[in-house]
Amino acid sequence: MLQLESTNLLVQETFANAFATDYTPVSLDRTITDFDFTTYHVSTPETKTKILISISINCWKDLAKYGVLDLLTSKYSKYPFIQILADQPEAGYHFSLYIDLEQASFENEEAKKELISELSLLKRNCFAAPFLKAFDRYAVLSKEQPADPNNIYGEDSHHNTNEEVLTINYRDLESIYITPSNDRVTVIFSTIFKDDTDQVFSKVFLQEFSDARKRSIQKAPQVINWHKEIPLEIRHLEKENTDNKTYITFVLFPRHLSTEEVRWNTITHIQLFRSYFHYHIKIVKCYLHQRMRFRVSSFTKILNRARRDVDEEEMRAERKTASGRRFEMRA
Amino acid sequence: MMISRNENERVLIEPSVNSVRVSIKIKQSDEIENILVDKFTRFLTKRAENFLILRRVPIEGYDISFLLTNYHDEVMMKNKLVDFIIEFMEDVDKEISEMKLFLNARARFVAEAYLSVFD
Repeated sequence: MLQLESTNLLVQETFANAFATDYTPVSLDRTITDFDFTTYHVSTPETKTKILISISINCWKDLAKYGVLDLLTSKYSKYPFIQILADQPEAGYHFSLYIDLEQASFENEEAKKELISELSLLKRNCFAAPFLKAFDRYAVLSKEQPADPNNIYGEDSHHNTNEEVLTINYRDLESIYITPSNDRVTVIFSTIFKDDTDQVFSKVFLQEFSDARKRSIQKAPQVINWHKEIPLEIRHLEKENTDNKTYITFVLFPRHLSTEEVRWNTITHIQLFRSYFHYHIKIVKCYLHQRMRFRVSSFTKILNRARRDVDEEEMRAERKTASGRRFEMRA
Repeated sequence: MMISRNENERVLIEPSVNSVRVSIKIKQSDEIENILVDKFTRFLTKRAENFLILRRVPIEGYDISFLLTNYHDEVMMKNKLVDFIIEFMEDVDKEISEMKLFLNARARFVAEAYLSVFD
């Protein structure tokens, strides 16, 4: 499993079952977790045929500021049997959808699949709001002031410095910053490594991330790593790097923002970056651990080869004092 | 007696009446090798009881220490023990550099896999 899935498998399966034609309604009460402190709650509070799905996100406040509700409403309001409980979500959660299975009807299998995947992508849809906002802003800016084709070195024009930086504090101390400008959208991640080893490994990984583009994948966004330094774009927001954060900048070029489909693809992948990054560092550590274990056991084997093949009897027989007495083991 | 290739790679052999202590400093040229060596020696020393001759704590300035006493000489063959120490020294360097290469290769692979989906 190289790539992380942006869909939530458990949510997906729950609804794939629920919408199946031979579904026998059962009462559900499931709490499902996802990356970045996201929690889902799938339950049937009133009757077995009405499923309530709620989501709780750590940074809901930030997302709400960037219009997550409008986005979710437009995503899910085309289904008449889904009731959006935006104003009074389930207690302890931030957003709820109430789905009436009895009234659920689909034109075809395709439509059904689409809804299932939209439901399992609830977290991605929530996180997409600030990204979409930034992309729209980019579209406006690029019309106002078309990118200068002569600006081949990608220097910032001075107009961009006043642009609002969208901030998502997606984990307690880690944030995503998004800055739109007239020829690109810059996404900056800040992340913390609890373990010193992870920190060192992350340097190797980040180096490869920034080199990969130069080497083979020209179409990818540009990755710049800053390690401990605070990137210029957000220096007015973060004064000091007190928590030993690592900053990673992604520069999304117009090609990543061109069509609706490409945009969603970009969002899906970029919001999983932190999870992907940390996940693979853990995998590497795990592999190295295994390898060391193997190596240690092979050393033991070599050492055991050095052992003399003598059994206890022989040993005892050999040991005698000068006068000819033998040593005996006493119980 | 100290044998050293350079400042970062050296072996210290201290003889005494009934034992010999061999301490090895493994080559560490950067942060990553540092971590790998540290992990690896920790791994070994935690299993010191299987490695009869291994000391749990290396002497200062070295990564790993072996103590060969007269008891070990009784249960094991001397030349095989010497073989082991030599083989160990060769393999450790090789293993550390292999692990480092693996780490780099893996990082590259992972990075490319992630970036190639943006299309």
